[in-house]
Formats: sequence, C-alpha cells, structure tokens
Amino acid sequence: MSTEQLTGPDATPDAPSPARPAGGEPGGRRAPRHGSQQARRAGAFYVFAGPWVLGFLGLTVFPLGYALWLSFTNSDGLSPNARFVGLANYREVFADPDTLASFARTGLFAAITVPLTIVAGLVLAVLLNQPIRARGLFRTLLYLPAVVPPVGAALTFKLIFDRDSGSANGVLDLLGVNGLTWLGDPYARYVLIMLTVWGCGNVMIISLAGLQDIPGELLDAARVDGASQWQSFTRIVLPLLSPVLFFQVVTQLIMTLQTFVPLLISLDPSPKGVSAVPDSNYLIMIDVFSQFFANGRYGYASALLWVLFLFIMLVTLLVFRLSKGAVFYSVDPEQAKPKTRTIGDN
Amino acid sequence: MPVSARGPLDRRRFLAASAGVALATAALPGCAASVDSGSGSGGGGKTLTVMTLVDEWDAKTKRSIEKMLDVTLRIITYDVTKLNAMLASKNPPDVVRGIGATDAPYFAARGLMTDLDPYFAKSEVLKVSDLASANDVWRFDGEKQGTGPRYGLAKDYSQDSMFWYRTDMFEEAGLELPSDTEPLSMDEWLDLGERLTRRRLGKVKVYGLNATGMGVFSQLMWMTASAGGSVFADDMASVDFSSPEALKAIQWYARYAKADIGPSLLNPNPDGWDGPTYQASRMAMSCSGFWFGGVIAAEPKLTEVSRFAPAPQLGGHRVSPCFGGTGFWMPKDAQNKEAAWKLFEWYFAGQPAKDRAAAGWGLPSLDSLRASMPKENAFQKQAYAVQEQEAAYFSVLPVSPYAQTDALNGVLSKVLPDAIRSGTKPGKIADALNSRMNEQLARGKELVG
Repeated sequence: MSTEQLTGPDATPDAPSPARPAGGEPGGRRAPRHGSQQARRAGAFYVFAGPWVLGFLGLTVFPLGYALWLSFTNSDGLSPNARFVGLANYREVFADPDTLASFARTGLFAAITVPLTIVAGLVLAVLLNQPIRARGLFRTLLYLPAVVPPVGAALTFKLIFDRDSGSANGVLDLLGVNGLTWLGDPYARYVLIMLTVWGCGNVMIISLAGLQDIPGELLDAARVDGASQWQSFTRIVLPLLSPVLFFQVVTQLIMTLQTFVPLLISLDPSPKGVSAVPDSNYLIMIDVFSQFFANGRYGYASALLWVLFLFIMLVTLLVFRLSKGAVFYSVDPEQAKPKTRTIGDN
Repeated sequence: MPVSARGPLDRRRFLAASAGVALATAALPGCAASVDSGSGSGGGGKTLTVMTLVDEWDAKTKRSIEKMLDVTLRIITYDVTKLNAMLASKNPPDVVRGIGATDAPYFAARGLMTDLDPYFAKSEVLKVSDLASANDVWRFDGEKQGTGPRYGLAKDYSQDSMFWYRTDMFEEAGLELPSDTEPLSMDEWLDLGERLTRRRLGKVKVYGLNATGMGVFSQLMWMTASAGGSVFADDMASVDFSSPEALKAIQWYARYAKADIGPSLLNPNPDGWDGPTYQASRMAMSCSGFWFGGVIAAEPKLTEVSRFAPAPQLGGHRVSPCFGGTGFWMPKDAQNKEAAWKLFEWYFAGQPAKDRAAAGWGLPSLDSLRASMPKENAFQKQAYAVQEQEAAYFSVLPVSPYAQTDALNGVLSKVLPDAIRSGTKPGKIADALNSRMNEQLARGKELVG
C-alpha cells in the first residue's frame, strides 16, 4: 500500500502531508502552482454555488421575509389603506374554527396517508425484489403512477368517481348496489386518500434501491441459522432499511402537509374552484389559497403560511426525535467520519 | 479545501453580494412582469400588453393588430394571481380580460381601473348611445355598480337566468312546453325539473334541471330581487339573508339541492358547465343565457330539440339580469392607453364584434349590431324572439365592491351543504351567512375606506 494519501473531506489540507514535505518542490516552484489551483477551485465553488445561492435568496429568503412582513398587516394586495395589525392575524389563526378544522383535517390526512403510502411502497418493493418473471415490466407498471402529472391523475380519478357517469358507480350498478356521491362529503376524503396512496411508486423505487443494497450474505447466514423469512425480514431487512424508510417518512410527511391535490380534483385551480372543494378535503393549503385569492386576505394568508411552515418544522423535529432508537445506521451519522482512502485499497 | 478568508472575494463577501443581488432583483417592481407566459410577435416600437385567454387571437390576427396599431403585441395568459401581482407592482398589462358583473366594482373601488368616459367622448367609433344596457355592469359611481363612469366594455353578454330546454325530453315525459313569453314561477320550474329527472340506483341518469349556471350567490341575488328584496344593504357594506325575500330564496335553493335533480353544492357539476351534459342528452333544462345557443348550434340534432325560455321568477318583480358581461378593461397604471383604446375600438366595434354578433355566442354589446344576430333556422328564430322580449326586463344587480363574489360563494359552499343535508331552518342558515359574509365585507370596507 502506498503511503500517499488522497485527501478526504475531514483531512486538513494545510497540514503538511507526510509524503509531501512542506515547501513543495525544490526551488519553490510548486507553491505558486498550488495557489493557482486553490484559486481555480475557489472559482469553481463560486460558479457552482452562485446560481443556487442567488435562487435561494431571491426565491426563498426574500418571499419568506416579505410574507412575514405581510403577515403583520391587513393587506389585500391591492387596496391603498392596508395597515400594520401586529399579531392580530396570528391570533386569528388560532381562534378561527375553520382554520383549526383545516389543520386538524390535514394532520389526520397525513397520519393516514403517510403510513399507508410507505407500507404500500415497501410491500411492492419487497414483492418486486423477488426473482419473478417479467420483473422489469411490473416495476415499470407500478412506478408509472408516480410519473403521471398530478393534474392528469386528478382528472382520471374525477372521471372514475363521478357519481352519475363514473365507472366506480358503474361497477356498483352492475352489482345492483346504489351509487355513492364519491366526490362529495363524506366520501371525497377516501377518494383523496386513494389518489395519494396510488402514487406510492416513488416510495417503492427508493425502497427497492434500499433492499438491493442489503448484503445477500447476511440473509444467507440467517437462513443457514434457521431464521424464517419473516424473521429475516423483521430482524435484518427492516433494521437495515430503516434509514431509507425514515427519509421517506420525513419527505412524505412534509409533502402531505402541503398537499394541494383537492383543488386539482375540483379541476378548477382558481379562486372560483375553491368553492367546489368539499369540506372533508378542505385541507390547510386550500384554506391558504382561498384566503389569498378568493378572500383577498394577503396578510392573514401569509400568517397562515408562516404558522404552517413552523408547524412542519416542529413536526419534522418531533419525527427526528421519535426516530431515535427506531432507525439503525451502520455508522452513527453524528459520529461518522468517512474513511481515509488510500491508493491500493481497491 | 478551504478558501482563503482574506482573498478578494471570500465566502462571506460572496454570500453578502449574492444576497444583495438576489434581493434587489426580487424587489424590483417590474419583476412581476417576468412571470409572463405569453409572447410578443414582433411589430412597432411600443408594446401593447394584453392579459387574456391564450387562444384569444391566432397568429395572423395578432400580426394584423400589430400592423394596425403599430405596436408589438404581448399576450399574457389570464391568471388572477398574476394579475394581482402585476397590479400590486404598478406594472399591469395595458388591457385585461374581466367579468364586468363581478370585477368592475372590486377593482374600480380600489382605484385600479381607468375611467373610459373621456375616451368615449372623443371616439368616432364607440358611442355611448350605441352601448347595450348590459354594459352598465362595467359602471361604478364610487359606491354602487350600474351608474357612474364606465370602466370597461362587454365583448358580448347574456341574460343569465334564462334557460334552454329539450323539447324531446318534455314530450317523452308528457309535459307541456314552457311559454316563450310568460316566465315560469320558480316552483313550477322545480316541479318540471323533478318530473324530467331520470334515476337509477342512486344515480341521476338525466338531470331535470341545472338551476345554478353562474354560481349560487348570483342565483340567490336574482331570486331575492325577483321577490322584491335585495341581498345587499343600500351602502353595499353588508348582506341581509334574513329578509323574507332572501329567506324565500334560500328555501327554494335548499329544496332544489335536496331534490337532487341537477348539479348543486351537494353534487357539483363534474364538467364545471352544462355543455357536455346537455349535448350528451343527460340534461333537460339548463339555466344558461343566450350564449349557450352557440353550443347548441354546433350540433344540428340539438338545434331541432332545443328551445329558449324567459327567466323564471320567485316573486312578482320580473328581473332578468346579466352575471357576466365578459370583456376588457384598462388598468389605471397601464403604460400604453392610447393604443389600448384603439384596440378597444377595433375589438368592440370592428370586424371581431360583427363576427361575434353573427356567431350567436352571446348578445352583441352594441345595439347597432343586434340585427346581425343569427336567425337562420327555427331554433335561432325562436331564441331571437324570446330574447328580444326578455330584453325589457334586464337590470343590473349590483355586487359589493368590498368583497369578491368568489369569496361570498366560498361562504355559501361552507355553510349550505351541511345545513341543507341536516335540514337546518332557513333562519339559522341566514344568520350564519350574514355573520360570515358581513365579517368579510367589513374587512373590505376598512381597506377601501
């Protein structure tokens, strides 16, 4: 093994390398080249990071700050007499029964759909990890719903579940059962849950990648030791897959709390369309959209968005806290330091 | 690899500079215009920006507009959120598509629209004396809609409480056809709707009646007016649904929705409008104005079985309003108003106006074009005759400048479904509506001043 090291992220580049004495090459010619290399790398950093930083500041930090300022006013975006109202909008968020109901509905929706989506995706991933015929075809078919645009998916579901001309009631009709008003209260929430879970292909594909990363020799060893398939799954596969599942729980949770799909099902994503969203699907983002563009309450809607933002942060932190002990990393993420690789390791 | 903190552009300076550039860019008043999804198609020195439907004009028409007005035409697809952003940044389009009946008081009260009276005064093409009375939906006197300066023009309009019906379905049900001259009472209308409805296993196979073509709030306004009352107070700053007339209107709507004979807040129309359902022979009566004749005219079979009828009435005060009056208006901060007005003259009095009048997709906004309305076949002749008689009963039903109609419809969709399902008494429904709507109106009044 050579003693010359390739620098890892935790290495101290300014420290002299054992194989490269300080001072560089004789005659001091190496130092300027080292400096220009540094400058080039710094330039590359700015070139690559610059667009993102600009975008982040202009499209995230500035709107967030602007919304924060708006949330302390009664602005409707257009009228000349808007004024500072202090915390009145925030007080209203916690006093308005409609808003609280929207938050509760959104929380319930997330509590139902996130586990369902994760479990459905995982089950499909486990099935598609088996050596079955036409596995590639099944993987493609099951992943397809995840790449269907949300508007297309919503339109399809709307056609299927229309009370008077949809195929769902057509099937019930064949069975001699009375049709249901699927897109109205209270059934609309079930259609929304089905639509959300139907798109579990993303979870499936990530879980599948995680499954394929599990070393086969561990499972072989368990089999030799007499472990059943279920024991192998619960004692080996799930623990090793838990970081992947945890990542998906967090991202799904954040996405679900911000879902805007009910308005797409109403297929009129406009202020007018809000009135077609049934009460059971009136989630918090629908309320935000309605307050902004139907009611013209920019100040209150901005306060709602800030409360939602903080709520999502809080829930995410809570999930991270609760995950301790349930997620198994092969390396402790807080202590881990990448191994220093040396030439000849491979 | 660390980068020297002492260099000419260290990380902190880089981040600070980026923040400056990003914030300055985001804060630039004109940045809202960068959300433009349309395109200019070449032309003269000035740019005329029009926010309208993406397919309003084809490429050839755009080129001819540019040549005629000596401008570069930039079309921005209509989007209310984008419009609000552009108005707020004081960088609005020069011409905006809008619905006169609902948009005019809201935007005019906030000082966002250009008073068109001086332009009419000097125009050789557009004369106030030639304007159909429905154009009054674009007027606002500072307190009330229907009088005062004109802030826009309707490209065409309809009396939206009239209805179309299928004679074949009436005959099949053994029912007498509605009169061409005398309006039905709302109870008679509901009764016909119930008789024409066909059901199977909890599903409605044929809707007897869609009574809410232009939204429930408009419908309640119209019915209350027909009963001799008004939903809005005189100062337009509050509503009162507990008046006997408004209660009667709520009761009627609750009966209609509960009867399940057509789309309602309990079972919204999946298509959002009646065209596909009517064409598929799944609707016997559609509360749609003259414009719906354009849908019918496209299918010869439909023209044979479709007829037009006067607006039914809840009380003795015959009212047949317009809830649309879609057309164009000019924002106060528009940059190119002279060119915008030339576009108005061409669009509202030139060949496009003549073509629209002849097509039958609405009534012409100029009285002088009324003679061009289609009267070729029996269906068109009958519709024209009914429409001519109905014109006498047109009146503007003013909406409040203090809240958007979408917001008031939002309150109805929150309150009515549960109330109707649970059989809540109309008085209680009225109280809930008054409380929620008046809260919104009070907020709007405070902002408008």
